[in-house]
Amino acid sequence: MNRAQKISLTIVITFSLGLFFGIILIVMRLFDVGIPKIAFLFPVFIAGSGGIISLIFLGKDKGAIKHDERDKLIEKNAHLAGFGAVYLFVILVSFLPIGILGEKASIPVTWCPGLLIGAGFCQAYAQSIAILIQYGRGGERGKQ
Amino acid sequence: MANSDLKNQIRRLRFEHGEMTQEQLADKVGVTRQTIIAIEAGKYAPSLPLAFRIARTFNVPIEQVFQYEDG
Repeated sequence: MNRAQKISLTIVITFSLGLFFGIILIVMRLFDVGIPKIAFLFPVFIAGSGGIISLIFLGKDKGAIKHDERDKLIEKNAHLAGFGAVYLFVILVSFLPIGILGEKASIPVTWCPGLLIGAGFCQAYAQSIAILIQYGRGGERGKQ
Repeated sequence: MANSDLKNQIRRLRFEHGEMTQEQLADKVGVTRQTIIAIEAGKYAPSLPLAFRIARTFNVPIEQVFQYEDG
């Protein structure tokens, strides 16, 4: 497993955990359990920790050649997947509120920066999944 | 990226050339070992320059390393 795969795996795990806790908090809020708003920072912190963990703990790859044409191709495809995911995210957040809240509803403008953060998370999540899928399993098998 | 129509003889050629390891071949042609593993397994079709570099490493024509099976 190379560095890109390790970073992607870390991001996928932390984002998934963040998403899981986020959904739990939203559901709890819907049932009026009495959760303070600041509790919503917890899943964001977990999700964001993936990048920090990657930067601190994941060192450089061993070996003379660390990056080649296949890595570049995988990176390019992953960027495309990330772009596609952001596109999808923008489409969803543009139309879903109308369907959920109704045509005459209004939303606070403080939600707008949240869309940017959401798009960023969406891009990183899709890109990481695309990297893991493209490298596939068993990259280290067949040593001879 | 995967190309099941493109067969290769890299594994056989490596063993015929003094049991060359994937790491040694990777260093000679300038790619990572993961890429050699992917090419050998038919999961990645290399670029033309890389295919030529692999063939040159074994001192054989490119057709002896890679075979394209039509249809």
